[in-house]
Amino acid sequence: MNDAQTLAVEVTAIEQVTPLIKHFKLGSADGGALPAFSGGSHIIVVMRGALRMHRNPYSLLSSPRDLDHYEIGVRRMEESRGGSHFMHDRVHVGSRLEIAHPVNLFGLDKIARKHVLIAGGIGITPFLAQIEDLHGAAVPYELHYSVRSPEHAAFLSRLREREGERLKMYYDSEGQAIDFDGLLSNQPLGTHVYVCGPAGLIDRVVATAKACGWPGSHIHWEQFSAPPVGDAFEVFLARAKLTVHVPPDQSLLESIEAAGVEVPYLCRGGVCGFCQTRVLELDGELVHNDHFLSDADKAQGKNIMPCVSRARCKHLVLDL
Amino acid sequence: MLITGIKSKPVYAPLRADAGGRYHLMLGIGPGGIALLRVLAEMRGSAPDAIKNTRLLFAANTPAADAADTVAQFKQIGLGSVSLFDDPASLLDTFRTVLDESLMGTRLYVAGPESFIGLAMKIALQFDLNKDEIRAEEMGTLARRVYCVHCRTTTEEVRTNIVRCAGCERWLQVRDHYSRRLAAYMGVMVDAEAPGEVPPVKEVFV
Amino acid sequence: MKAIFKPHETFRDDFSFCNSGQAIRRFPLPFPEDEYMYSVNIEPHVSGPKGSVVEFAFDVDEHYVAECRERELVLAAEPLRFQALPHMLSAQWDCLELIMESLARDYPAHFSLAKLGNRWHWINRPLGLDQQFIFGDVDTLPRQPLDYIGRQAQGDFVVMDQRENDLWTEAGVVTTQADWSLDFDMGMTFKEWHGPVPLAHEMQVFDRALKYLLNLRLGQPVRRLNWTMTIHPRLDTSPENYPKWGPDRTTVTAQNAGDLVHLRVELQGLWRLPRSNAIVFGIRCYLISMRELATVPKWARRVHRVLKNLHPALVDYKGLTRYRDAVVEWLAPYDDGTPTTPGTAPE
Repeated sequence: MNDAQTLAVEVTAIEQVTPLIKHFKLGSADGGALPAFSGGSHIIVVMRGALRMHRNPYSLLSSPRDLDHYEIGVRRMEESRGGSHFMHDRVHVGSRLEIAHPVNLFGLDKIARKHVLIAGGIGITPFLAQIEDLHGAAVPYELHYSVRSPEHAAFLSRLREREGERLKMYYDSEGQAIDFDGLLSNQPLGTHVYVCGPAGLIDRVVATAKACGWPGSHIHWEQFSAPPVGDAFEVFLARAKLTVHVPPDQSLLESIEAAGVEVPYLCRGGVCGFCQTRVLELDGELVHNDHFLSDADKAQGKNIMPCVSRARCKHLVLDL
Repeated sequence: MLITGIKSKPVYAPLRADAGGRYHLMLGIGPGGIALLRVLAEMRGSAPDAIKNTRLLFAANTPAADAADTVAQFKQIGLGSVSLFDDPASLLDTFRTVLDESLMGTRLYVAGPESFIGLAMKIALQFDLNKDEIRAEEMGTLARRVYCVHCRTTTEEVRTNIVRCAGCERWLQVRDHYSRRLAAYMGVMVDAEAPGEVPPVKEVFV
Repeated sequence: MKAIFKPHETFRDDFSFCNSGQAIRRFPLPFPEDEYMYSVNIEPHVSGPKGSVVEFAFDVDEHYVAECRERELVLAAEPLRFQALPHMLSAQWDCLELIMESLARDYPAHFSLAKLGNRWHWINRPLGLDQQFIFGDVDTLPRQPLDYIGRQAQGDFVVMDQRENDLWTEAGVVTTQADWSLDFDMGMTFKEWHGPVPLAHEMQVFDRALKYLLNLRLGQPVRRLNWTMTIHPRLDTSPENYPKWGPDRTTVTAQNAGDLVHLRVELQGLWRLPRSNAIVFGIRCYLISMRELATVPKWARRVHRVLKNLHPALVDYKGLTRYRDAVVEWLAPYDDGTPTTPGTAPE
């Protein structure tokens, strides 16, 4: 379940929408319609660089009703391992890319009685697609969008025009902050909250919702973060009988893939559990950066999520 | 056909306070009042502020004298509000209105006969309350609501393993397969293969 | 496969259904070995051998027209055999698209689908239907989307919404089921729906299946086989109509078992749906009488052994109790003890 079925796409338009964010339009390379998808889905974009391959997830921000093209937004990351730089600097109109079929790990709950959407910075992207599904339907919703300053608010005019009162903006530069407690203490039964953006924002929303008594099943989050960097290390793949070197700025998963071994994956962000791999031998310690394994599982050290986790070790053998 | 040992059968546990909730809504019928008193005692010990944020709806459903003591205790605890009802149906009507005004952070506690729990859950479902927000303890009669899969009639207060359908009059085997949407157990014709061969009827849901 | 439809076949009353030689040879036998027990026997639903039941996404065979007519009869008598909760409308459209696109692509002689933006034109030649409609607009179809297309596909369809790390049975058209009720099960989660299946829960079959399905991907459907037995080639063995078909179980003898008792195999396909992110579960039923089955010597020996040694809990759950011994006795002369080769190919 990985790159077996990728689609070839061509970049048909690029726009710099904020100083840090570029907006890309992708059309099917053979000119047909692209696969239908649900709001909140992301695609994995495969970028073949000179030195290495990047596979980065980007939320689809285009309308699920318009399948002539997909739209994604890419934020230039300061400490990048190269993926966002590749997109910003090496991709032009006419460039060809491969993408995997859309996957949705951040869907709207269909029986919610209200949706509260909270976006920070580039985190606005999945909501742009979702509000296309919500617009005009019977369920009430509101969108809270927090950015550094007005020039960093991507797609603002599009949002304002469509959403009017349902959109509330918060500019750090003007000292405006979301009143999380106020917002989450006064929602009717059956409300779901969705948050996408930096880790700090997500942690605040989740913690506040729980403190207000919301059960976990009504709190949804999606985080875009590159796999954390770390010390280089070596890993031996027991079944492939290969030793793989993992450099500081490449994830364990990426290094294994670069060595020609396939590992099933879905989100590449430590959340879905799909790439869970058994640890057969370890002399050292695992550095768990995922949100999937329980604390007990992490302590036991028998499994690792190679998409985001690493090791500091003299010896590590995986069941791959 | 599996009759018992079916995994869709609801499982209940003694009520415990849910410290994660900000508001607490309690529903009780008859002997369920005792379970609610137990939870409230627990709350008073661990989170006394929660008591003020707790609303209670109770129907004794028995001669007034039996429940008088329970009701008196409810009134002394310092609950946010206590509402008393003559019967489960009127309690459930008010329950629906209360849910409409309730906020996220509410926890629901239900204690009473299984059929009442089922009907309360059915209403709670309409407000997207899910299993993390609801706790239920079965107290009182195990009498079941049985949905006849042939004529789609629900027969109430079923205490026996085999019952005559109130709609089509077929003899139905009462299975443990349970539907939350219908708040009822499944009834299937017991003598379909050999008409007239009805096994002994036993009182099992008392 | 070039299907010659037998439109007047019946699955009730006079039970005129029967399989041609070609249908027998392509029958999906669910027993790769001489014993049977549950497993999570899921495999990718990719194109299989030419002429086989898994060559295409949805198999259309010689019984297509007759089965569609049978479905119409059931739905006319019991409209609640189709149900869909309001929030499942986009999933219904997803199903309609999946089925129409598959049938038009795989059987262009029988079906065509032309699209101009969201104006679709669907033609179903075997059933004589010609429908123009706007995809996404319920008012332009004579019925709800799943109800509409469900009457033009063989097999049942159950649609499950994915939320709270679980799957919820919230829409379906179910008229050819092996003894479970959509009406009763609507709203149940995956494990609740499978509550009545014995043993499998202890074996964690459903835990593993659920985990797998929660990660099912667009464009990568899966399939598996399930089986039971039916007296007469009756498709509608619903609990609702148990009073009608239940008594048939007592009419089987070792002499008539060859004609009365049918192996009933479900080819189950599971697809992730794009706009709703729901999962559709297609349950396609194939029937074969013991007499037809016995024309393939390896199958006769194999099925004799599987039935003879079947776990008692499965005998009970699959409703075989009253007649299993009669079937085993009818098949016995075909089993000379010769080893059977693994796998289901006729040999």
